[in-house]
Amino acid sequence: MGTTFSYLVLGVLRMSEKKIRVLMSKPGIDGHWRGGIVVSRAIRDAGMELIFGGFQNVQQIVEAAIQEDVDVIGLSIHSGAHFAYTQEVIDLLREKGVLDNIMILLGGVIPAKDFPKLKEMGVANVYGPGTLTKDIVEFIRTNVKK
Amino acid sequence: MFDKNYLEKVREEKEKWEKLYENLKEREVKFVSDSEIPIKNLYTPLDLKEKDYMEDLGFPGLPPYTRGVYPSMYRGRLWTMRLFSGHGTPEETNKRWKFLYENGETGFSAAVDALTFNGIDPTNPDGAPEVGTSGVPLYCIDSLFALTEDIPIDKVSVALVVEPFTSAPVCAMYFNMAQMRGYDISQLTGTTQNDILTMTVGYIPYKNCPPNHILRLACDFIEWTVPMKNVPRWHPINFTGYNYREGGIDAVQELGFVFASACSHIDNLIERGWKVDDFVGRLAFHLAAHKDFFEEIAKFRAARRIWYKLMKDKYEAKDPRNLGFRFHVQTAGSSLTAQLPKVNIIRTAIQALEANLGGCQSLHTNSYDEAICLPSEDAALVALRTQQIISDESRIHNTIDPLAGSYFVEWLTDEVEDRVWKYIDKIQKVGTIDKALSTGFLYKEMRDAFHKRRMRIESGDEIMLGVNKFPVPYDDVTDVFRTNKEAISIEVERINKLKAKRDNAKLEKVLDKLRNICEKEENVMPVVMEATKEGATVGEICDIYREIWGIWEPPLAI
Repeated sequence: MGTTFSYLVLGVLRMSEKKIRVLMSKPGIDGHWRGGIVVSRAIRDAGMELIFGGFQNVQQIVEAAIQEDVDVIGLSIHSGAHFAYTQEVIDLLREKGVLDNIMILLGGVIPAKDFPKLKEMGVANVYGPGTLTKDIVEFIRTNVKK
Repeated sequence: MFDKNYLEKVREEKEKWEKLYENLKEREVKFVSDSEIPIKNLYTPLDLKEKDYMEDLGFPGLPPYTRGVYPSMYRGRLWTMRLFSGHGTPEETNKRWKFLYENGETGFSAAVDALTFNGIDPTNPDGAPEVGTSGVPLYCIDSLFALTEDIPIDKVSVALVVEPFTSAPVCAMYFNMAQMRGYDISQLTGTTQNDILTMTVGYIPYKNCPPNHILRLACDFIEWTVPMKNVPRWHPINFTGYNYREGGIDAVQELGFVFASACSHIDNLIERGWKVDDFVGRLAFHLAAHKDFFEEIAKFRAARRIWYKLMKDKYEAKDPRNLGFRFHVQTAGSSLTAQLPKVNIIRTAIQALEANLGGCQSLHTNSYDEAICLPSEDAALVALRTQQIISDESRIHNTIDPLAGSYFVEWLTDEVEDRVWKYIDKIQKVGTIDKALSTGFLYKEMRDAFHKRRMRIESGDEIMLGVNKFPVPYDDVTDVFRTNKEAISIEVERINKLKAKRDNAKLEKVLDKLRNICEKEENVMPVVMEATKEGATVGEICDIYREIWGIWEPPLAI
């Protein structure tokens, strides 16, 4: 796969009722990992199916999202390069025709001033420092695209 | 420390007080330290009855160094005010360094970007959008000339915050630059972080090599600088508990990670045939000053005593200069909030005071915009002034180790020390530090710490004002410092220019030599010095490591 992570498929096996499927990914090469892990754990604990992609380039994120048929892509970005990576992911999802089926969430050290522009680009919600994970879980449950 | 009869009187009097206390209602708060040490309502001479002043405390600059590593401490010389900074390009970082120097900073520290950390050149599309966004890009020797232009590097010490995967090339570039400028590198002072745990559990490595090779690289660098006497005044490693502490582990674990790692490095150097006294005096440490005021002070004092015992009893160091634990402190970035950012100034001031009351040698204070962006010039200046208020206005430096003899502080220092010894044992049972990584042990410890801290914050057990108490929206008022968007094109051009002027055929031969040395057990530094002088980039050196040793996938735990 060419990433330094292997896929870690965690969570409960799919049962008759479709569980919400979330891909957690770190675009780029910045290694601040606590946020992504903490949110992953909270999503798994909430009974959703979590696919932990770890470091992935934009191509790998979109491929994994399609192959794994995910409802949500969570991008964890702490490097300040959130506009560049998010735009690339959205463009490729659009090109593959799956943008409308997938909710994109963004978390990390992201200035509140950037939230409106990121939402305009197509991000459903942005989570900065100090976010409580229960708010993320609740947002996914309420807003996931069916 | 007290006479038996006297202690009996204290005990009788304490019983009276306890009767009074019995009928009082305490607030509904858990009285525990951050690392969950239960804290009593009051400490008295009874808590110190087993202590011996000479054996447990002694005098500053003398064993067991509990009261300070130097005889005169801040009466002789203040701590170094060293702000960790880097952004955009080496030229912009140079400007920031000069600004801070003019305002009283006394040491420099280069925060590098994610590409420099991971040995990725800007011509590689993997990380291109991150050039200069989280630190200064240092990809080739020309970058080091730009970074230090007009900076008196023979007078002010420079910390290069790079980890073992890239410490050899980045520092070799620095040493070559210094030599080309006419400095004698045997006289240079500074520090390389070179900490295996930073780029494995503090921060996840992107396409780095397996831990046993990383440990070898760290030890190669220590060996070449200090015992081989190429840069003998340099601190070739800085065990950076700060970086993993920020992930969520507690004060006891922080010291446990640090000392277990230090022992693995010392053992490696001894296996290479060196004596502990040949190098151990140049090992340095970088700890966190976190939220629990007294526990952090106790931690710094305990750390000195533990190091002394390790050096004297385990390693039998003979030179008294090699028994002292010298450390840099950084206030806790993870304690700061993006909500009400100005309140962070107060958090940082309290934590800086912990570091100074704990007797640090060097200090970084975080900027109030830490949780939002890289520090703006204004925020960095406030952070520097915070230290200067302590050094110039508070008069805490009037006497050495002013908290010594406090029943509580001495008791807590002992308690932290006991727990750290037990935790060091726990790690060492797994094996050397590279084993503790490759088996996933340290990742599980980190995972459990993340989880515990998250539960504490979400339940409100651990208060974060503005977040889980008196919550306010994420601040969108504070100015956001943005790094230079042109950095990527500037850095690609810098590399292309260098590649055009260097002798590529000659360089290829040097790189082949490096391939050869990587396969053997020979120190990589001489050939990395040669390669970077010939214009090799950090990415090119690291690609050879990857080629020979392979890429490591860390056993992350969720």
